[in-house]
Amino acid sequence: MNAPMEATRFGSGQSVRRIEDPALVTGQGRYTDDETLPGQLHLVFLRSPYAHADITGIDTSAAKGMPGVVAVYTGADLVAAGVKPMAGVPFPRPDGKPGATAPRRALAHGRVRFVGEAVAVVVADSIDQARAAADAIVVDYNELPSVVNAFDAMAPGAPALCDDAPDNISAGMAHGNVAAAAAAFAAAAHTVSVDVDNQRLAPSPIEPRAVSARVPADGPDAGRLVVRLSSQMPTAVRGGLADAIPGLTTENVRVLVGDVGGGFGMKTGIYPEDIAIGYAAWTLKRPVKWRADRIDEFLGAVHGRDVVSRAELALDANGKALALRVKGYANVGAYGTATGIAIQVLIGPWVSTSIYDIPVIDEQFVAVLTNTTPTGAYRGAGRPEAIYLTERLMDAAARKLQMDPAELRRRNMIRPDQMPYTNAMGQVYDTGAFAQILDQGLDLADWNGFATRRADSQARGKLRGRGIATFLEWTGGNALQETVTVNVTADGYIELGSATQAMGQGIATSYAQLAVDVFGVDIDRIRVLQGDTDRANGFGSAGSRSLFTGGSAVSAASKKTVDDAKALAADALEAPAADIEYKSGRFTVAGTDLGIGLFELAAKQAGGRITATDGATAGGPTWPNGCHVCEVELDPATGEVAVVAYASVNDIGRVVSPTIVEGQIEGGAVQGIGQALCERVAYDRETGQLQSASFMDYAMPHADGFLGFKTKFDTSIPCKTNALGVKGVGELGTIGATPAVVNAVIDALDHAGLGAAAEAIQMPVTAERVWRALNLKQFDPSPYRA
Amino acid sequence: MIPLKLTVNGRAVDTTVAPSTLLIDLLRGPLALTGTHAGCDTAQCGACTVLVNGESVKSCSLLAVQAQGAQVTTVEGLAKGDALHPLQQAFMDCHGLQCGFCTPGMVMTSACLLAKNPSPSDAEVQHALEGNLCRCTGYVKIVAAVQQAATTMAGAQA
Repeated sequence: MNAPMEATRFGSGQSVRRIEDPALVTGQGRYTDDETLPGQLHLVFLRSPYAHADITGIDTSAAKGMPGVVAVYTGADLVAAGVKPMAGVPFPRPDGKPGATAPRRALAHGRVRFVGEAVAVVVADSIDQARAAADAIVVDYNELPSVVNAFDAMAPGAPALCDDAPDNISAGMAHGNVAAAAAAFAAAAHTVSVDVDNQRLAPSPIEPRAVSARVPADGPDAGRLVVRLSSQMPTAVRGGLADAIPGLTTENVRVLVGDVGGGFGMKTGIYPEDIAIGYAAWTLKRPVKWRADRIDEFLGAVHGRDVVSRAELALDANGKALALRVKGYANVGAYGTATGIAIQVLIGPWVSTSIYDIPVIDEQFVAVLTNTTPTGAYRGAGRPEAIYLTERLMDAAARKLQMDPAELRRRNMIRPDQMPYTNAMGQVYDTGAFAQILDQGLDLADWNGFATRRADSQARGKLRGRGIATFLEWTGGNALQETVTVNVTADGYIELGSATQAMGQGIATSYAQLAVDVFGVDIDRIRVLQGDTDRANGFGSAGSRSLFTGGSAVSAASKKTVDDAKALAADALEAPAADIEYKSGRFTVAGTDLGIGLFELAAKQAGGRITATDGATAGGPTWPNGCHVCEVELDPATGEVAVVAYASVNDIGRVVSPTIVEGQIEGGAVQGIGQALCERVAYDRETGQLQSASFMDYAMPHADGFLGFKTKFDTSIPCKTNALGVKGVGELGTIGATPAVVNAVIDALDHAGLGAAAEAIQMPVTAERVWRALNLKQFDPSPYRA
Repeated sequence: MIPLKLTVNGRAVDTTVAPSTLLIDLLRGPLALTGTHAGCDTAQCGACTVLVNGESVKSCSLLAVQAQGAQVTTVEGLAKGDALHPLQQAFMDCHGLQCGFCTPGMVMTSACLLAKNPSPSDAEVQHALEGNLCRCTGYVKIVAAVQQAATTMAGAQA
């Protein structure tokens, strides 16, 4: 009888149906916009139509007199009320001066710096009334010259976005040793170089942001600002509101998060909109709600990537890499932020030597202000940009040395006996068996059978290419500590309270599986409580950190609960604590048939529950890694690129939820394929208008893409720096897919006769670019202009 | 305001709406059926898909008054009591959802497809879902879920 019981328990390592799903498939999810507050007012933002302009006057008198309008606020109103700007840039400029940005305000004051920057809000009884009143606000703009490209922004005479940076350079960072790299390049048998535009992307979770805010007049939250929103980081939102709005402290702000319809990094941290809405509710003492339209998201939510780089690799005669040199110019948008800049100048470089033993680096990054939406975290956040460069260089080197690209990579891989390995950025990898992963990847992809498949494609008039990416990434956000509170309740549930945040990744299910491991009860007894800053606070969910930090804490707190409860059971059973044993929801006295159920024991306690809190601190980041192999077919008649094979072997350490991690890798890979083949945020160079401001114009992957992913995990290399042995998985697929796909396209173009010239092709690799390459031998000019 | 009578998930609705009220706003607002989601402004994402007289329709692009006299089915109306629709079960079984925001639209579009084409090819499923965007799953497991549901429903018919 044991087998069926175990099957319903679903501890770690088993594929389980997610505990999140029954509500979501029946329409019972509770996303922020699904909740209507009694007496709720609606808020809309009026956004700048200009990329760069002085606001010389705002007349809100007509809007204020319109039906249903409760309040209209401008930037000037918020400044007068003492609402503070958001945090600035914590990194210095390359010249040593402090990092520069104009102050980012909830509503622009005096000047707008990108199309879509919010300049006013209207609060009204209905959305339609608010929209009509927003249309009636008259803003006098004095338009200024604008700039949307990093190199244009650094050019002499370019319009400056802030007084402290006439050159528009917000911050910069240099890593490694310039002289040592120069010497290595001078002595190298071979050098290769690629110029790359890691184009700007729109993260685009399908749920637009939504925020509701209220100040209850009575009840437990009387007089507090209670904000509910779609966020990965409730605690950061609480802190940001308390910092910005006069009269608020972290104690009198409560942030709640319900279901989150996708995050991908875009819903980390606080947004200006959150502050404006919080201010409106706090000032009016009435409930206020805002739901972003999709265009609000394209204009106002952070964008990702956008760095143009020249990357060079020096190699000896045998293909051993000697030095990596990177110079990158990141377009961070109109306002510099810690996150947006760190991603490009620091986090990417941490992984730039990847799984390769490259002893010398010289990397220099500059973050440039332009009249575009500020950039921030998007799935991978710096690692896709860096790994793309490294993997493109590996292929370029293999082409130059006429070596198998897999063999060249193998020659450069860090060996397991070098672990723990400190890379040229000082980052320490705890584990990694990269050649072992490579071997399995080549096997899964039938690497050696490629010639036959290429010939088959050729016979059908298609040009086939094969691309590989072997790589690692850094996870954890350097926020390595988590605490979990466990409540065992008299009504038969085990509640896990965590400050990490579900956003669709299935973390609640994985936590429940880890709790099942300890408690030995059925998974339907476990409830995961998140998204309430009155219950738990922490970094939130970002950087693929939740399982290895929060999951380790679930395990620790669950074990502590059982240990603590043994003492309670000893009391209840009138036996020495040392004799109490626990198994599958029941405490027993060793050697007797005396016992008490876990929930029964909870019912006997004051308050009807057993509570324990414990935490875990990981000893470092985790370094998930993989080998991704992609094959594409190009249609020479149209230039169309089709992914026709995709195999990946991934080392994410121990696997808790096999189905979930497969979904993370494959869904993530499709986002990476999106960057490789179709997605691009486009601004008009003259006017600064956002040209890709809807799903009609921003080309995300649709359902007509590739379905035949082969995805495997090697679980034999557990992480050594956390109790569970797990490594982050959320971003791995996105990071690997982009270079694997583009390397495959370049391979096909090379084979079609273009040779190394094919390396000039840029992302997104559209049909037009491929067609021009094949038929006209024509490529875009290098995006690198330093 | 315009008088409006229609049937939503088998329940008669007799109400009045403004001429400009969209079907999605009637569903999510007065009818409190919040399983139908708004994800874009341009009828691209399909998260708002419902069935109107059996046809999958983006409820963000239909005026409520255009549903005068119609039979409307939302994701809340798909299960029969406690028994999930085979598509709902299949999306759970196949991990065809992550954040779940697009899922109601995916399920409703698929329900329309399977009603017309009980054993579609993968390519036909992909074509049917062209107007529904998912950012999480990469679509692979969604297509698998629709195929599982097709198999289940065919078995139930046999």
